[in-house]
Amino acid sequence: MLFVLIAHDLLFSQDNKLGVHTNYNQQTLYPEVYYKLNTTDSLQITSLKFYISNLELINGTKTVWEDKVKYHLIDAFDKKTLLLQIPPNISFTKIKFQLGIDSLTNVSGAMGGDLDPTKGMFWTWQSGYINFKLEGNSNLCKTRHNEFQFHLGGYQKPFNCLQTVFIPMKSSSNIILHIDVAKFIEQLSLSQVNHIMSPSREAVDLAEKITKIFSVSYE
Amino acid sequence: MSKKWAALVISCLALCAFKIATQQLFEVPPNWPKPIYDFKKNPLTKQKVELGRELFYDPILSKNNLISCASCHSPYTAFTHVDHDLSHGIDDRIGTRNSPALMNLAWHNLFMWDGAINHLDMQALAPISHPDEMGDKIESVVLKLQHSKKYVHLFLKAYGDTVITGEHTLKAISQFMLTLVSANSKYDSVMRKQTHFTEQENKGYQLFKQHCSSCHTEPLFTHTGFENNGLPIDMTLNDLGRMRITKNPLDSFKFKVPTLRNIEFSFPYMHDGRFKKISEVLKHYTTGLVHGKNLAKQLRQPIVLSSNDKVDLTAFLLTLTDKTFLFNPKHTFPKN
Repeated sequence: MLFVLIAHDLLFSQDNKLGVHTNYNQQTLYPEVYYKLNTTDSLQITSLKFYISNLELINGTKTVWEDKVKYHLIDAFDKKTLLLQIPPNISFTKIKFQLGIDSLTNVSGAMGGDLDPTKGMFWTWQSGYINFKLEGNSNLCKTRHNEFQFHLGGYQKPFNCLQTVFIPMKSSSNIILHIDVAKFIEQLSLSQVNHIMSPSREAVDLAEKITKIFSVSYE
Repeated sequence: MSKKWAALVISCLALCAFKIATQQLFEVPPNWPKPIYDFKKNPLTKQKVELGRELFYDPILSKNNLISCASCHSPYTAFTHVDHDLSHGIDDRIGTRNSPALMNLAWHNLFMWDGAINHLDMQALAPISHPDEMGDKIESVVLKLQHSKKYVHLFLKAYGDTVITGEHTLKAISQFMLTLVSANSKYDSVMRKQTHFTEQENKGYQLFKQHCSSCHTEPLFTHTGFENNGLPIDMTLNDLGRMRITKNPLDSFKFKVPTLRNIEFSFPYMHDGRFKKISEVLKHYTTGLVHGKNLAKQLRQPIVLSSNDKVDLTAFLLTLTDKTFLFNPKHTFPKN
């Protein structure tokens, strides 16, 4: 009887969630912390925002669930954006999502919710969503206030920045999706590459690098 | 049974009333193409158009609360900025281009001289955010509106919601801009067979069709695309035009072909406002072209116009003046 109850609880637990953890070197990312790059250099992250869109759960090769909420703006420093709902009682072996906003949505005019231009993720001088925004400062950047700014976006060929991310799963519940900024920074030469703010080849290349800094763990 | 009929009649009447109300806000002129703007995503209502009109004329959209959309887009001059080659914004800062005339915007898919903006809804973001124009941010504009009793009331009337969003703000501005339709010039009356061109205007129309209409295509008087029209490069601006957006060298020095409707009132001309008079424009196209690599193919053969031809062509261009548009009280500063 007890076994049945526990099994029932496991099967029908209503709060299956997908948590998003934003990290620096496997530690939770905080805005006021300086992270060491080596013995002399360090950096601070002041903003990390990106879109997770068209989230799908896949079992083998078959899509078993599609998120009805198409666009989620993840903001590392806004806790309420760091939890996505996925259904309980569903088996899957992979998650799939897009990093950014698809081209059709980019040309469809003003929209609300996470797509509202007041969220600061829509370029004003040239229409288009910023798919991924990372800002901060480092003594390595010989720029004004030692700032670096990566605003990766662009929906038009040949600079379509949208990326698709697949992540294999070992379990179907209580998943934590990690994004580790250190893994991105390590792939750059921050002293040389520190301002990418328009659709370009560089933006597409960096967006591809971002797809490789996601990983999962299970609670 | 009679009740059912009554209900049917009432709903028919309501539908007709709705149709009439919408028609008054926006109508596709006879024989015009289908608009590009998707009205289904932003259906016009009287309250939303009125809200958009209030926003259009309100300097609250700028950082110092002194510059409104109308500062550079005045209704009496076809919604452009007269007397300035380059338009100026807050703190008398000068931009790099002449503000475009605003009309018939539902038929355009790209905006600005370089097509930087991909949807009418998103257009207002550019001047609001540009440091030389209104110098603000949509986030802070929305916050200012949220603190204004007047706007909370107007948004409630328009959207049934006191929460003001960027989406609703931008869509309301679109609604007003969509109502700025100019299709009632003498040219339009002639096309509708309600009147006739003078002999001179008619000669001018024939010259227009021969030399100009491949880019300034009827009935919008623009094909809405981008062309290099052979202007000598202004070294003080070095404006690359469309190439700034596409990064494609084939687009260098291409600018959006402007409409010629209301050209009498929309001076100065060209993206940098370099020509004050129509005669200067005609001089450019006949004897002033720089034959660069990507000069518009329509301009590769010389355009030869006698001085009489130029007078005739100008007479035709003046038939594109639409006084019912320029002096439409529904377009002007809202009086409460």
